[in-house]
Amino acid sequence: MKKSSIYTIVVAAFLLAVGGIILKYRLDKNKTDPAYYSLQQRNGALAATAEWVSTRNNAEALLIKIRNNEADVKSMLGLTALFIREARITGNHMYYDMAALKYVNKVLAIDSANFEALIYKSIVQLSQHHFADALQTAEKARRINPYNAFVYGILVDGNVEMGYYDSAVANSDRMVSIRPDIRSYSRISYLREIYGDYPGAKEAMKMAVEAGIPGDEATEWARIQLGHLYENTGDLQNAEKQYLTALGELNAYAYALAGLGRLAMGRKDYAAAIRYFQQADSSINDYSFKEQMADAYALGNDKPMAERLMREVIENMSKDAQQGDKDANIGHYADRELAYAYLKINEYDDALRHALLEYNRRPQNIDVNEAVAWAYYKKGDMAKAQAHIKEALKTNSKNPVLLCRAGLISYKNGDSAMAKSLLQQVFQNQPNIEEPLRTEASQILQTIK
Amino acid sequence: MALRLPHTARYVAAALFVCAAQPLFAHTINYALEKAPVQDVVGFYAKLGILHIIPYGADHILFIVGLCLLNTKLKTLLWQATAFTVAHSITLALSMKNIIVAPGAVVEPIISLSILFVAVENLLISRLSPWRVLAVFCFGLIHGMGFASALNEIGLPRDKFYVSILSFNVGVELGQIAVIALVFALIILPFGKKPWYKKFIVYPFSIIIAAIALYWTIERVFVS
Repeated sequence: MKKSSIYTIVVAAFLLAVGGIILKYRLDKNKTDPAYYSLQQRNGALAATAEWVSTRNNAEALLIKIRNNEADVKSMLGLTALFIREARITGNHMYYDMAALKYVNKVLAIDSANFEALIYKSIVQLSQHHFADALQTAEKARRINPYNAFVYGILVDGNVEMGYYDSAVANSDRMVSIRPDIRSYSRISYLREIYGDYPGAKEAMKMAVEAGIPGDEATEWARIQLGHLYENTGDLQNAEKQYLTALGELNAYAYALAGLGRLAMGRKDYAAAIRYFQQADSSINDYSFKEQMADAYALGNDKPMAERLMREVIENMSKDAQQGDKDANIGHYADRELAYAYLKINEYDDALRHALLEYNRRPQNIDVNEAVAWAYYKKGDMAKAQAHIKEALKTNSKNPVLLCRAGLISYKNGDSAMAKSLLQQVFQNQPNIEEPLRTEASQILQTIK
Repeated sequence: MALRLPHTARYVAAALFVCAAQPLFAHTINYALEKAPVQDVVGFYAKLGILHIIPYGADHILFIVGLCLLNTKLKTLLWQATAFTVAHSITLALSMKNIIVAPGAVVEPIISLSILFVAVENLLISRLSPWRVLAVFCFGLIHGMGFASALNEIGLPRDKFYVSILSFNVGVELGQIAVIALVFALIILPFGKKPWYKKFIVYPFSIIIAAIALYWTIERVFVS
C-alpha cells in the first residue's frame, strides 16, 4: 500500500476517533444527566422512617406532573426543594445538588427573576462550596425581595464563608429583625462563636433549639451545634446530654452519633468511638465521619486501617472534585477538606497545594487561613505559617483547635510569651480536642512553664 | 517529495469544535491575587505557565518533542511553534472568558490523540508539508482549552485578567522553548544530519511517543 494511502487512512482514523470521543462523552452525559432525576434509595435507619415513604410519594407525584408539563414551574421548584432536603438528610450532595440544579436552572430559563428559584440555586451553590457564586445569586434574590428573612440567612452564610464577617453580621441583624427564629438564632450563635463569644454563642444556640420543633432535623442539627459548643468549652456532660437528647428525638441521627464518638475519643475509648462513627457513616455520606473513624483507628494503634480509610476519603473527595472539573453542575470544591486529609497521612505538599487553592478563592476566611497556616507549619515554613495564623485569629475566635495551632506556630517562631498565652486559653477549660494536637500543645505548654 | 495532506484533514478543525457546545464552567476568581501587586501576579502566572509544561505537562512535552523530531531546520520548527502558540493563546483567552467552552472529558483525550497523530505522521512522511502547520494550529486550539482547565483550578484575578493570561502564556512559551532547546541540543544538532537519523532516532522515538499517547488516549476515554 502506498504511504499516501496509509496517511489517508490515519487521518480518517483520527477523525473517527475524535468523533468517537465526542459520541462517548454525549452518551456518558446522558447517563449522568438523565432527562428526569428521581430519588435514590436511602441507607440504614433513614430508610425505615415514615417520612421516607411520604418523601418518595411526593417526589413521584411531582415527577409525574413535570413529565406531563415541562414548564410546570411550581412542581419543578417543589422537586428542587425536595432534592435539597434529601441531600442534607442523606449527605448525597453529589447526586442531589446536580438534580436540584437541573430543575432550578430550567425554572430560571423560563423566569430569570424567580425569587424562589434564585434562593434554591444559592443554597445549592453554598452546598457546592461555590461561595462567591452563592453570594451573587442571593444578592440578586435580595434585590427582588428585600423583606424575606431566608435570603439574609444565605447572605450570612456566604459572607462568613468568603470571610466578609462585617457584612455577615449586618445581614444577620437584618435577618433576626425580620424573623427571629431557629435559623436566625443559630446564625447569631455562629457569628458570636467566630468573634470569640462562647457564652453568647451558647445562649443564642439554646434559643435556636427552643425555637425549633423537637425531632425536626433542623432543630436537632441546632442541638448538635449546641453540644459542640459545650465540647469546645470543656462542658462535656452537657455536650453528651445534647447528643443523647438529639438521638432520642431523631432515631440514629448521624451527627448525634458522631458527637458521642468524639466524646468517646476524648475518654480514649477508641473501640466505642469507632462503633459510633461506623453507625453514623452507615446512614449519611459525610466524609468527616470516616476521617474521625480513621483518627480513632490511628489512636487505637491500628495505623494501617487508619491510613486505608484516609486514602479512601481522599480518593472519593478527589473523584468528586474531578467530576466537578467535567461538569459545572457537580463541581464541589473540597480543597480545604482535602488539605486536612492529606495532612493526616503526612503528605504535606499535596496538603499545601489544596489549602492554597482554597485560599485563592477566599483569602479572607479565617478557617482557610488556619488550614494554610497549618500546612505551612507541617512543612516547616514557620514565617508563612505565622502570617496566615495571624489572619486566622483576626476575629478573636476562641476555637480551641485554632488556639492550639496558633500557640504551636508562635512557639516555633520563637514567641514563647504569645504561645503560652494562647495555649493557656486552650487548657483553662479542658475542651474536647483531637489527639495528637492536644498532647503536642500540652507538652509545649509544659516546656514554656 | 512532499506528501499532500488529504482533503479530509481540512475538516479536522471543524470536527474538533463539535464539542464546544456544552457550557462547562464560569472561570474561578482568584481573590487572593486581586490584592497582590502586578509584578507578583505576573511572576505567579508565568511560573505557573512554566510549571504547566515542565515538569507537569508530560503530554505537552511529548507533543513538542514529536513536532521537533521531523524538523532538522529551525525555521520550519519556528513556524510550527508559532502556529501552536497563536492557536493555544486564542482558545485559552476565549475559554477563560467563557466565549468558548469544552468539557475536559473531550479535550483531554483529543490532546493525547493529537500527540498520537503527530507521532504516527512522523513515521509516514519524509518531509513536512505546509498542511502540518495547519494541523499544528488546530491542535494548538485544543491544547489551549486544556491549559484553560488547568488555569481555571487556580482562578484569575478579575482586575488583572489579561495580565494573568498573558503571563501564563509567556510561562508556557518559556517552557516550550526550553523543551525545544533541549531536543535541539541533545538530538537534532548532534544527529540530525546523520544518514541513520530517521531510522535510529525519528522512528524509535516516534513509536515510543505514539505508544504513550495511545495509552493516555485509552486511559482518558475509558478510565478517567
